[in-house]
Amino acid sequence: MDKILLKKALPQWVKKLQTYRIYAPAKDEDIWTYEAVNTPEDIDLEFLITALSPKKIIFPQREVYFEFNKDDNDNPDIKETIPEDEPTIVFGVRPCDAKALTLTDLVFGGDFEDVYYWKRRNQTILVGLACNTPPSTNCFCLSVEGSPHSKEGLDILLTDLGDKYYVESLTKNGVKLLNLAKNLFTPPKAGDKKDLQKIHAESEKKIKKQIKNLKKVPPKLKGMWDSSFWDEEAMSCLRCGICTYMCPTCHCFDINDEVHSHTPLTGKRIRTWDTCQFPDFTMHSSGHNPRPDKASRLRQRIMHKFQYFVERYQNYQCTGCGRCITNCPVGIDIIEVLDKVRDYGP
Amino acid sequence: MVNVEDLRKEAKRILKEGKVKYVIGYERGQNGLMPKPAFIKDPEDVDRLIWNPTCVHNLTKFLVDEKKRKAGEKKPDERPVGIVVKGCDSRAIIVLLQEKYINREDVHILGISCEQTGVIDEKKLANKLKGKKAENIELDEKGNFVISVQGGTIKVPAEELLAERCLECRANYPVVYDLLLGDKTKKKVEEPFKSLEKMESLSEKERWAFWTEQLAKCIRCYACRSVCPMCYCDECVVDTINFAVTADTTASEKAGKIKWVEKSPVPSENFVYHMVRAMHLAGRCIDCGECERVCPLDIPLRFLNKKLEKEAKELFGYDAGFDPDEPSLVSSFKDEDPEDFIR
Amino acid sequence: MAEQFEPRIVAFLCKWCSSAGSDLAGVSRMQYPPNVIPITVMCSGSVSPLYIFDAFNKGADGVLVSGCHPGDCHYIKGNYYARRRIAIVKKLLDFIGLEPERFQMSWVSAAEGKKYTQIISDFVEELKPLGPQTKLRRNI
Repeated sequence: MDKILLKKALPQWVKKLQTYRIYAPAKDEDIWTYEAVNTPEDIDLEFLITALSPKKIIFPQREVYFEFNKDDNDNPDIKETIPEDEPTIVFGVRPCDAKALTLTDLVFGGDFEDVYYWKRRNQTILVGLACNTPPSTNCFCLSVEGSPHSKEGLDILLTDLGDKYYVESLTKNGVKLLNLAKNLFTPPKAGDKKDLQKIHAESEKKIKKQIKNLKKVPPKLKGMWDSSFWDEEAMSCLRCGICTYMCPTCHCFDINDEVHSHTPLTGKRIRTWDTCQFPDFTMHSSGHNPRPDKASRLRQRIMHKFQYFVERYQNYQCTGCGRCITNCPVGIDIIEVLDKVRDYGP
Repeated sequence: MVNVEDLRKEAKRILKEGKVKYVIGYERGQNGLMPKPAFIKDPEDVDRLIWNPTCVHNLTKFLVDEKKRKAGEKKPDERPVGIVVKGCDSRAIIVLLQEKYINREDVHILGISCEQTGVIDEKKLANKLKGKKAENIELDEKGNFVISVQGGTIKVPAEELLAERCLECRANYPVVYDLLLGDKTKKKVEEPFKSLEKMESLSEKERWAFWTEQLAKCIRCYACRSVCPMCYCDECVVDTINFAVTADTTASEKAGKIKWVEKSPVPSENFVYHMVRAMHLAGRCIDCGECERVCPLDIPLRFLNKKLEKEAKELFGYDAGFDPDEPSLVSSFKDEDPEDFIR
Repeated sequence: MAEQFEPRIVAFLCKWCSSAGSDLAGVSRMQYPPNVIPITVMCSGSVSPLYIFDAFNKGADGVLVSGCHPGDCHYIKGNYYARRRIAIVKKLLDFIGLEPERFQMSWVSAAEGKKYTQIISDFVEELKPLGPQTKLRRNI
């Protein structure tokens, strides 16, 4: 269902959605983050790219699995803490970030469904915003089977047409949101559809960064496990967690019991993000660490995204948002690394 | 003026003569204007080396890396490493020498003077450019940065683009070096702790509100720790598993390891992490500003360290990173140290 | 009537002077508020700043570090190191916005049981109007 929404009518629409918890990009000095919206007038979709992707809403950095304590008779008492019913809308989701959620869906779905993840996922509606101009100089979505106006994973896609949005509702949930404020939406005129196609076509041309022949990379990676290539590439790596924590598709986590009080015993079992870039990620209790240095950890990041994931899920585990490139303190550029992998050796 | 050719010539010489294993310097980044660390092994590659006001990184962290790498090698190459340093970075080398973490003969220092300016702040530059892409940046004689962008140049007075720490710099040329490029005239800095004034004038409540808001943002990617040349501990209090675990470590020893900081990135835990880090850097931080630069959530971490730098100077007359033979701040004392706060 | 707030103080006392001083107060049956959780350490110089942050993190309303008077340290100079380190910790806690009253240092010799009771009484009185320390308390 395609519609037109005047930009100045956006707050009115959002007002009709007050039964939902709403997130939208907000500016905090130099960075954009998704923040809860209290006043609809505050919504500003003139944003670039958020520091953290909406992954943090569906797969928060900290998730409480359950609370535990011991009663007076020393019997354990466990209380499950499934996320509350809280229908949520995220405004201003970039197509790459929405696609990223379809990838984490694969991981948290499948044979074993992660209840915590799916509880949040199923109650979240994603309202996307097409990128008329690349929101970051490091965008390369076209190279990883994405596009600046991709609809994958979204419920609604907005495209900026100057003083109005072209609104494409893509799922039942999307249609539902439009129906809550029917009078604000008008059918598109023939010219609008043309404008949309033109803007979408132009937006693709504006993406400058690309990885040529990426499909050659996965088979190439297979033979590079022992290569000294990784030592060279990782020379400047600092072993911080920026690239993985900022990544919309990285999903590794750690589980810990966090104790509040020992007598009486109370605490929580907690899931937090973890990253393959930290030395303790692979540390065995024997003291052996199978990935002892930063070269092996960089290799893990690249191989996971462009070989293991491809083999398992037939998808690159990368959507080309460019966050890892923008934020890397020492300028490690995944595009450059992949170019080198593709051209490596015979 | 610093001529980058001189740097390349010296790098080529020491590589050719086999004096150093490799040279750590700056090269053009893939990603437009900002450079990235370069590791040059082949004398023919020295032309990759660059020097300009965008060379912000403190490369001395890679000396820590080198030492750790060497410790794991059976027959390590004992030759020194060449490294390009600015004034502030050289102070980090002084602290590493003072703490006997590295030896003077482990490192061949190619010092570069920032002369009367410093390096740029990437975020200030981005705000000035408003989406335009900078191709080059140079300093003219009048102290302006001349930025080349598509279809012209933009002139900006240096102070508007310089990193905050450069405005408060107390070492505009290297303190220790084997080769110095550029001028050795001390830059006059009237108020080396000016940036703290605003914070210090706030009330206790406001300061608490400020830090709670800032540290609540922390996602504990530990980039601030990772980039810091002074954070070289094999075992960090925030890590969930002890680095020093060996095959001989017993299960009860492992179970008994104290968890000082929980992994949940909540304010109470983030505070412990950042306060411990600040304490651990007291009298060691040389204000290279890297922790703040790398923070993906823009937490003004430099303030914490700067504050303790100021207190060390005011209370104990201590300046980190100028004299490798001086005892360190917390492993020394004077009879007249203040004790008016003690009951 | 609401129950009056009773602060909890974690006191790191050096084994040779301050801990002995607190013992003297005890065996001499001197009266002082029971709000202290004493932790004997070998020397005030062995108190890592992490212990202090951790005490606040675990819910202490106030933290006291107490050692021998200058010149009296069993290890000759441990208390001098402590004096420097604690001065910096105090500045840091103040800078992040914790009430400065919550963290104190004192010199208490083995003979100063009386002084020890005074320090604790004063500390408790100063902490009462501040209420519970929630700023740095673990909240997960």
